[in-house]
Amino acid sequence: MKNRITVLFVLVLVLLLLSPVFAAGTKEAAGPVNLTFVETITSPSRTAQIMELIAKYEARNPNVKINLVSPPYEQSDNKLTLMLNSNQELDIIEVRDHTVKQFVNNKKLVDLTPYLAAWDEGDDLLPLTIAAANTVDDTPYLLPQFFYVKGLFVRTDVLAKYGFTTMPKTTDELYAMSKAITGKDRNQYGFGFRGKGSSFKISDILILSDVPNISADNIYQTEDGRFAFSTPEARKAVAAYVDLYKHAVPSDGVNWGFSEQVNAFISGSTPFLVQDPDTVGMVADALDPELYTVIPMPIGASGKTYLDYGFAGLGIPTTSKHPDLAWDFISFMINAENNADFCKVYGPLPVHTSTYANDPFFSSGVYKSWETEMSDPDNYVFVKYPLDSPKYPGWAQVQEQTMQSLLLGNTTVDQAIKSWEDYWK
Amino acid sequence: MMEKNHYRWMLVPALLFLLLFIYIPVARGAVMAFQHYNLFDLSTLRFNGLDNFKAVITDKNISFAQILLNTVVWLFGSLIFQFVLGFGLALLLRKPFAGRGLYTAFVFYGWALSGFAIGLTWAWLFNGQAGLVNDLLIRIGILKQPIGFLSNPRLAMMSVIIPNIWYGVPFFGIMLLAALQSVPNELYEAAVLDGAGSVRKFVSVTVPYIKPTIVSTILLRTMWIVNFPDLIYAMTNGGPVNRTNILATQMINKVFKEYDYGQGSAIGVIIMVLLFVYAILYLKIVEDSKEELL
Repeated sequence: MKNRITVLFVLVLVLLLLSPVFAAGTKEAAGPVNLTFVETITSPSRTAQIMELIAKYEARNPNVKINLVSPPYEQSDNKLTLMLNSNQELDIIEVRDHTVKQFVNNKKLVDLTPYLAAWDEGDDLLPLTIAAANTVDDTPYLLPQFFYVKGLFVRTDVLAKYGFTTMPKTTDELYAMSKAITGKDRNQYGFGFRGKGSSFKISDILILSDVPNISADNIYQTEDGRFAFSTPEARKAVAAYVDLYKHAVPSDGVNWGFSEQVNAFISGSTPFLVQDPDTVGMVADALDPELYTVIPMPIGASGKTYLDYGFAGLGIPTTSKHPDLAWDFISFMINAENNADFCKVYGPLPVHTSTYANDPFFSSGVYKSWETEMSDPDNYVFVKYPLDSPKYPGWAQVQEQTMQSLLLGNTTVDQAIKSWEDYWK
Repeated sequence: MMEKNHYRWMLVPALLFLLLFIYIPVARGAVMAFQHYNLFDLSTLRFNGLDNFKAVITDKNISFAQILLNTVVWLFGSLIFQFVLGFGLALLLRKPFAGRGLYTAFVFYGWALSGFAIGLTWAWLFNGQAGLVNDLLIRIGILKQPIGFLSNPRLAMMSVIIPNIWYGVPFFGIMLLAALQSVPNELYEAAVLDGAGSVRKFVSVTVPYIKPTIVSTILLRTMWIVNFPDLIYAMTNGGPVNRTNILATQMINKVFKEYDYGQGSAIGVIIMVLLFVYAILYLKIVEDSKEELL
């Protein structure tokens, strides 16, 4: 008797464990269609913004329900990768410049060509938007939603205090001003350094802008196929960058990530900060508008500045059972009006031509600098990181440790460059 | 016979649970260590023998010897102070005093916090510009200029170990306090009758009585400290110059930053083997010392 009870108990347990499987099979009846949307650049204020847009969409489309999944930022890319690789049924996902190649490699994204061709706003997209969409295999696997381009944030009040009335136009001027302002006994430094957490995205732009012929497809190569850091110009620029650290940055800068960098700018201890436009919101919350401005990135010795355009957008996973509805939602999220509204609150640059033409917000104030960068191809040349390379994901750690070693004087410029060249070989 | 079978059946759910959530994932991880398993391109998935181990151990930019050394310093630097201070805390809290309950709750609160949150807080305390620690030391007059606790390669390891000690003391405190409270008073009374002083009581009654707890908590803590990358990850990301990079943080880097599950798993297997050997040696030494005592 007892034995039967246990067998029964185990059976019930197994059924309980399996119940979600059965439930999933029966749920597909009438009622609204559920779409699952996974965001990856998660932050509380941005998530709130997305929820607002979802509510607006659902009000117009009562037959669709959007379930937003917001994994914590630090693990979001990985979480999404795992969800995709376990073939979970997702409908809309946030794809980033550094994840698109991986998703396409693993055949996780739907080709958006037919949708884009039929979209009435397709012609309104910036050339840069089209280029970003077609990053992998010359096929649009995502519709870009935001651009992140570096600009130079400047504390005008601090500069004025030290008698500077002009803004730095070149990296040489930026370095010289940073050093001139620095007074270690006053706890005053010049440059908001980045020492950890993808530090290459700042250092390498400043350094390589001294090299005259960087390839547009790969910032680490010259047009004639050399490793960019092995050029004499880059060698000199690396040394200048180390010198900047020694004479215009607190020694602690070697361990600074994003928050330390922004904090030092807001406190005024470093009046120069190289950052993306999504930092504007944070700075604007903490500082009065007359205390700071944003200017275009300084021009390197090559007469140009190489900028990368970081981007994020939305794509449709191959596991989606409702790709048409998913596209409908994507084209709503990224229509010119919603895209502009979203960017105004969240900070990055929008993706439509008409937005820049019609909305003065993105061509005035601090955004003027990014408008300049995007409309002056002689001075500001857009290049790409080697996102295609399987070595790219490991580069951040290698660059961080070898650069720290160089900054702290454990290795020489030549040794550092040699280790970078070996890495990319 | 029936009865026996009955109990065996009752074990099934628990065993199934262990199998599903512990043994299968561990086995899966161990298999991955011998595969080229990179999420960047899963079409390249294949067995690659010992390549992952070779790649991790011979990495030119991220020295494996340095990582091993860091792990040992991180482990013992944390463990010894956690144990000594935790034991002291337990001894202090053993005797009743007014407000002991509340005080105990406050002291043990740190144990309930997330490692990552603690790391972020301490990173600001140790900040070389605006950090509270620097500010205090300057105000007291010990320092003239702020120092970079987390950016100076000589100080960085110490600066991540200090919060780990802060974090781990309550654990030893809780466990040893519970053990201390179980020591029967009769033993102390008997010891006093035999003329034992307080040191003698401590060495001959307290320590032997709670020794099983000491042995098991030290072993547990060892494993947790080795597998505890949260603090370092939040405070220094393994830097500067790889000086605070331990096996567990490097494993996270491989998996979460590089998507290289193969090399990440290889480091996981190395950690597992090292801890296994450590546990055997440790228990053997403890056993031997017991025989000597007898």
